[in-house]
Amino acid sequence: MGIGDTFDRLCRPFEGPNTIGNTRRFWIGFVVVVLALLGYPIGFGGYAASSAALYLLYAILGLSLSIIWGYTGILSFGQVVFFGIAGYSFALISMNLSSTLTTMLALPISVAVATIASLVLGYFMFYGEVRDVYVTILTLVVSIVMNTFMAQTAGSEWTVGSVALGGFNGIPAIPSLTFSVGDASVVLDGSSFYWFTLIALLVVYLGLRALVNGRFGYTMVATREDEDRTEMLGYDVRRIKLLVFGLGGALAGFAGVLYATWGNYVSPSVFGITFASIPVVWVAVGGRRSLLGAVVATVVIEWFRQQLSATGSQYAMVIVGAVLLLAILFVPEGVIPRLNVALLNVRDRSETTPDSPDGTPE
Amino acid sequence: MNPLNLLFLFADNFAFIVLSAVGLAVIFGMMGVINLGHGEFIMIGAYGTTLSANAGVPLPLAMVIGVLVTAVMGFVLERTIIRRLYDRLLDSMVATWAIGLILTQGVRIALGNSIPQISTPLGTIAYGEFSYSTYRVVLSVVALAVLAGLYVLFTRTEFGIRARATIQDPDTARALGVDTDRMYTSTFVIGSALAGLTGALYAPTLTVVPGMGSSFLVEAFVAVVIGGPSVLLGTTLSGGLLGVIDALFTNLYGTFFGQIAMLLTAIVVIRLLSNGLTGLVEDVRNRMEGE
Amino acid sequence: MCLYAISVSRMNDGRSGPSRRSFLATGGTVAGAALAGCLTGGGGSGGKDTVTLGILEDRSGNFALNGTPKYNASMLAIDELNDDGGILGKQIETFAPDPQSDNKRYQQLTRQAINEEQVDALWAGYSSATREAIRPIIDQNEQLYFYTTQYEGGVADSYTFCMGATARQQLGMVMPYLIDEFGTDIYTIAADYNFGQISADWVRVLANEHDANVIGEEFIPLSVSQFGSTINNIQDADPDFVMALLVGANHTSFWNQRTSAGLDLPFGTSTVMAQGYQHKRLDPPAMKGVYGGFNYMQEVPTDRNQDFVDRYYEKYPDAPYVNEECVNNYFSIKMYAQAAESVGSTNQEDIIAELEKGMDVSAPEGDISLQGKVHHMTHDMRVFRCDENHDIHVMEEHKIPEQFLSDTVGVNLRENDQTKQYVPADYFEAADATRE
Repeated sequence: MGIGDTFDRLCRPFEGPNTIGNTRRFWIGFVVVVLALLGYPIGFGGYAASSAALYLLYAILGLSLSIIWGYTGILSFGQVVFFGIAGYSFALISMNLSSTLTTMLALPISVAVATIASLVLGYFMFYGEVRDVYVTILTLVVSIVMNTFMAQTAGSEWTVGSVALGGFNGIPAIPSLTFSVGDASVVLDGSSFYWFTLIALLVVYLGLRALVNGRFGYTMVATREDEDRTEMLGYDVRRIKLLVFGLGGALAGFAGVLYATWGNYVSPSVFGITFASIPVVWVAVGGRRSLLGAVVATVVIEWFRQQLSATGSQYAMVIVGAVLLLAILFVPEGVIPRLNVALLNVRDRSETTPDSPDGTPE
Repeated sequence: MNPLNLLFLFADNFAFIVLSAVGLAVIFGMMGVINLGHGEFIMIGAYGTTLSANAGVPLPLAMVIGVLVTAVMGFVLERTIIRRLYDRLLDSMVATWAIGLILTQGVRIALGNSIPQISTPLGTIAYGEFSYSTYRVVLSVVALAVLAGLYVLFTRTEFGIRARATIQDPDTARALGVDTDRMYTSTFVIGSALAGLTGALYAPTLTVVPGMGSSFLVEAFVAVVIGGPSVLLGTTLSGGLLGVIDALFTNLYGTFFGQIAMLLTAIVVIRLLSNGLTGLVEDVRNRMEGE
Repeated sequence: MCLYAISVSRMNDGRSGPSRRSFLATGGTVAGAALAGCLTGGGGSGGKDTVTLGILEDRSGNFALNGTPKYNASMLAIDELNDDGGILGKQIETFAPDPQSDNKRYQQLTRQAINEEQVDALWAGYSSATREAIRPIIDQNEQLYFYTTQYEGGVADSYTFCMGATARQQLGMVMPYLIDEFGTDIYTIAADYNFGQISADWVRVLANEHDANVIGEEFIPLSVSQFGSTINNIQDADPDFVMALLVGANHTSFWNQRTSAGLDLPFGTSTVMAQGYQHKRLDPPAMKGVYGGFNYMQEVPTDRNQDFVDRYYEKYPDAPYVNEECVNNYFSIKMYAQAAESVGSTNQEDIIAELEKGMDVSAPEGDISLQGKVHHMTHDMRVFRCDENHDIHVMEEHKIPEQFLSDTVGVNLRENDQTKQYVPADYFEAADATRE
């Protein structure tokens, strides 16, 4: 019982009405899944791990949209802007000052650049009274601007330090993340990159769980539900939106650095309209009010798209589109919340005494 | 700089922006639905026109077929998918994005990567050392005609009044006997038909390929977003403003700066005018009436 | 079973495992290598008694128009080889996914091709952007790679063989002809990305070498499909001819628009018609007076080519055109087979060494040869003219070798391994001087 209590107490900061999975059963399953994921590279090798790492880093991008859209009610197509800005910053910093120390420093600096960019855009929008759907289109326009701009930087005049921005071709040969202490240094690639990304995703996920189930999380949800009421209760809605947008920008930026180092490559296509729409798809399918949903949907959808593409079938895009349509039409609240409810129902029927009141979002 | 060049360039831009945006603007302004498949609707209109023309149908009739095909498709999609999402506007964006994906690749599978193109009709206007395509002048006239037609439709007809009532207050409209369901369907079909018209009109000047829709998106979204809530006025004003800016900057500094200038204008307008260009016009009108 | 496992000794993770070259260099470890091959599942050719070729070409997305023929021609070459008994008596298998014109997906699929499918050789990518996105992965894994699109030139890479004609070969064919025929004032319109910028540099270099002048230059973003101001600018500058280095579907709109605007000048190009068969898709006379410098168009008037074209349409009756890249994919796969037969294995290091000796190839375009030192082809170049009925005429023909790497830069990949792309701006004043 003592161990169980300690376990429960450990889980408590991450539990609340704003997330799925507030039972001991959930957390035990969670730990099992995490352990299995940690072991994945050992069982399947570095190549499989490095493929999977891409999906995990996309999941961080998905989470960044989940808190902005799902929890605060701002639909942004601009997450890829901060994702791409951080990717480009990382490339420029790490390639201009190519020592291991600067590669380490380039990570936080790039995330900071992306965060500042998101705060500037957020201030511009939220303090400029840009409303609802106009925020959505404005963020879409910003990513199109970035796409147009970066795509024409092919000329030699577009060189920052010794690194050419490269236009449509992008920047290849970006160094991998390297951590060094004294003379020893670790280059993150293959399995080690996977573990780094997995742990980062875990930290982000748990951190956001704690956030949305905390005081600030309640004000986020209140803002989503009714801005005027929240304002009347004495909260500064604009400030809340700005802070969440900044946090989203930081997370997207972090994912962007991981992305740039994953393929050692970044190009203007990260700002393109297709890539800008993808995070919205992940979050909508997974359940926009569920952090877990965003993570699972991101990984599953991206894995699925990759498998379809590998078959070489010309129907790949059609199938992706059809699956999305079906998900939107028939599972409006998102796949993961629906599964959660289904699981709870099964359990309720099989057990006489149901667990403590369990949280489904909403 | 030759002033006629600049004038033609402006007229050309104005037509392109207005026609790119108008289908999107009607659906967005009347229903609040952002149709991310808008570009693909335009593509369908262009395909309908080109395929009919290649089959020997005279061009004007081929264009009508292009519009009809797109309108029918809009009708089917509204009945089967879009109507289920009216209370979930953001989900409808994802759905229309998926529809766009399916349309692009579906057309590619059905018709291949390219089809024989039709050439631009109506010949050339020559002036000095320059010359200009007559058809492109016609396009700007058509853009104005479309705007005028929509104005009449939405302000002078029974349908228009019901449609506007539905937007402003669906519950009251329903209570007063307006079949709001039918209004939404009709609006979506009109928006689709307008997208089809854009495709039909541009089919003889652009490369008709499955991915062609994306070349309309930037202008369409920018025009809608800075136009503000009043669809017609907004589209006209943004077509005018953006057309001038694009023409000037393109003429002075090249194509790329034309595009960037247009996008930056959009951002500035959104920041300064929270209700877009139409909001500004309303403000001015209110102030004048107040005096 | 695992006798041929040598070629499977690639480690799962090409990054951390010993490189194939160093692994093989240890020699005498056939047993160990065989064991490794069996343990890793024997995905490679050795274990399965087949040769695996990776064919990554776009069949959806922006570049499907160009990628589909490349895919088709590859399959034609492979079918023909298999019908003749395969390579070294082994049948050829393919790993042929659809990268959907997405460079990130190319990176994923390239890793999959190398690490999981263990392909013996790889053909991948239409655009230069794709090539540059996957080249680091190719080099890291020391993977034999064929890039078959005509391109800006300058890639000197120990593992990459560039099969298409370079800008210098193409423009060097068509520009002297146009200068002779029409005059010395040139206006350049080029796609605004690396390919277009570097090609425009070459236009300046070649203009300089032939005492002509570039009197105007305009770079057009790939997303632009409205050309009103460009046409005005050309009319304003009044050149003797225009060099049009346009790329992609959006830019194809230029031809209808210039025709309807009455812009009736001679055009030179290294991109349109041979790749995107605009003369077949557009209504005449949109392409009237366009002169291309290419190694191949479907209309090449030789019996050997006619035979190739017939076989292509027999396999793909609905195909719209046999383009330049078709032929490059086709002959390079045949050339690979030839090299594998002559070394007697599919060991990539041995094949690269064999190819670096140089090789004569009988291609649909003519008898051409591989310049082993620089991994490029000496092509049979031609000036093609499109008339007002969109019929194609060959105006001139001669063989042009790759010259930039071999003569100007002095690259020798037989002796010095490298993975660089050189640009003309670093070697020619004309290429750099007018750059803003």
